[in-house]
Amino acid sequence: MSSSLEVELERLLKSILDLNEEKALEITENLLTSNVDPLKILEVIKKAAEEIGGRFERGEYFVADLVMAGEILKGISEKVMPKLREVGRSRETVGKLLIGTVEGDIHDIGKNIVVTMAEAVGFEVVDLGVDVPPKKFVEAIKQHNPNIVGLSGLLTLAIDSMKKTVDAIRETGLREKVKIIIGGGRVDQYACEYVGADAWTNDAATGVRIMLKWVREKEGGG
Amino acid sequence: MVKEPIDLWIERHEREPDVVAKEKAERFLKAVELGVPDRVPIAGVAGDFLCQYTGISWYDLSYNLEKIPPAVLKFVHDFPHDWGIIFAPMMLEGFVLALAFPDFPDFSNTIRFLTGPVHDILKDKWSQWPGRELREDVHPQFRGGEFMEPKEYKKLIENPVEFLHCVILPRACPGLGAPGSPQWNGAWVRVGMVMQRILSFQLQLFVEIGKRGYPAFPITNAYTSADVIGDFLRYPTGAMLDMRRYPDDFKAACEALVEPILKVATAIPPIPPLTFFFIPLHLNEMLPPKLYNEFYWPYLKKVIETLVEKGYKGFVFFEGDHLPHVETILELPKGWGVAWFERPRDFIKAWETLKGHTTVMGGVPPSLIVGGTPEKIDEYLKDLLSKVKPEGGFILSPGVNELPKGTPVANVRAYINAGLKHGAY
Repeated sequence: MSSSLEVELERLLKSILDLNEEKALEITENLLTSNVDPLKILEVIKKAAEEIGGRFERGEYFVADLVMAGEILKGISEKVMPKLREVGRSRETVGKLLIGTVEGDIHDIGKNIVVTMAEAVGFEVVDLGVDVPPKKFVEAIKQHNPNIVGLSGLLTLAIDSMKKTVDAIRETGLREKVKIIIGGGRVDQYACEYVGADAWTNDAATGVRIMLKWVREKEGGG
Repeated sequence: MVKEPIDLWIERHEREPDVVAKEKAERFLKAVELGVPDRVPIAGVAGDFLCQYTGISWYDLSYNLEKIPPAVLKFVHDFPHDWGIIFAPMMLEGFVLALAFPDFPDFSNTIRFLTGPVHDILKDKWSQWPGRELREDVHPQFRGGEFMEPKEYKKLIENPVEFLHCVILPRACPGLGAPGSPQWNGAWVRVGMVMQRILSFQLQLFVEIGKRGYPAFPITNAYTSADVIGDFLRYPTGAMLDMRRYPDDFKAACEALVEPILKVATAIPPIPPLTFFFIPLHLNEMLPPKLYNEFYWPYLKKVIETLVEKGYKGFVFFEGDHLPHVETILELPKGWGVAWFERPRDFIKAWETLKGHTTVMGGVPPSLIVGGTPEKIDEYLKDLLSKVKPEGGFILSPGVNELPKGTPVANVRAYINAGLKHGAY
């Protein structure tokens, strides 16, 4: 029985990575019907999300693949979570991410992919939406106490807003409490240094991998 | 104070604008023809940097026509360039409006871009404007949206113009009301009046810019079918998912959109020596080669090839990292036009692939101009130009021409200085 379960979970992983939505949802449905521990399925999701990140970094996946993968992971989660609640279990979170598109920018495609993937790998995500002023980030850090703050933006003006946000976080003495990652099509190492962030990424998958590395380092460091 | 190359160039603009304009036109045409000009043409910059430098707000740049000329004329005086795009008044993507009127060549191309005043009439949900949905000091923004359901592809394919006109416009533009209603008719009359005002303003402004040493070439507009779907109908993520979920519908819709796109583009006839057709690409970098080659490129290629055959030259903005797809450009006829690359992960590789076949524009990361120092910028451009200059067919430009607020003036000057210093052949 357990070996056939392993095979099914492996099939689920493969169908996610093949971006075969129909098959992935069908396998999930079958697993849940046969009363498989929902946490086992969530483990597959986490594994898949990490592998997706790796494929993106190696240039094997593109944004359209991340979007499809995100949809699949979300679809599976939506099937699994009610079942998890039903059996009275909950999922352990790996960390808390506070994210938003910075002031003056209303683009959210990248941010939304990050939210979907970060949730899939087990982050608790607080999404502040778009056009978020520095003050709101600061208030939300105080309220939610996240490990990581994600600043997203597409426009070149976003870089300036990111800097203002990081400055505001520093001025209120919260900078040391959080890791800050900036993301968007036009950020790079120059932008990261200018803004004063800890990391930068042009894509959601790499961003999620960086964040996972941070929480692991923190765990490792005690 | 020691005069820098940019200062000497500014003085020449003041002293002999006609000579400077003629030089620029020859230089630019030579580069577009894949030839070796006297110097690498330098493309201009704008964006928030223009607003900050001249003190004009985004609201005024979008709505207050009388405040625009002093700002723009000061800017082109202080930051001279060989060729550039400055939206005055500010404009955003609005190609869907042109596609709703492809059989009206007298204005289909003119309403191809959304402006603030037109947005006020249409109340379109595709865009947001300063002093309206956004603060006055914030860049107007295109946000797009989802205005069509997957099951409606059939209607789009059957009659794209009618579908866009009668189904999409009423959904996305509450200011229009129902097709045929007094509100609908009145709104379009108003749009016409506003466009007339903007058009005559622009003609006057272009004459003034021309007097200051800037040549102008006519430009028409085209689009990629898949981006019509992503930008105006299904939102980019929806379009990406549809390629996988409804592949046949998606392809048929792309095919159906080619004809109206070409109609809009050819509304402005090609005039020698150079009439560009401009196409900004949006979904391109987001697609894996398999999806790009199946759903995006065949229809874009058809548009480009048809227009080149008719005597136009392409001016295509390859957004993001286009490197994974760069080789497909070689399928186009040699000398088809200019490929402006935003941020290919290896610019030199893109250049090496295309040199002698396509005029390549770009090479300067905007973040270098924002966050670098004049010395770093000079060093970077010297190195870049030593690699890309020898063969000709190159135009120096930042990956996007919009620089953010806070960009040091000295850095923008350093960019132009370095082009003048290291760009001479």
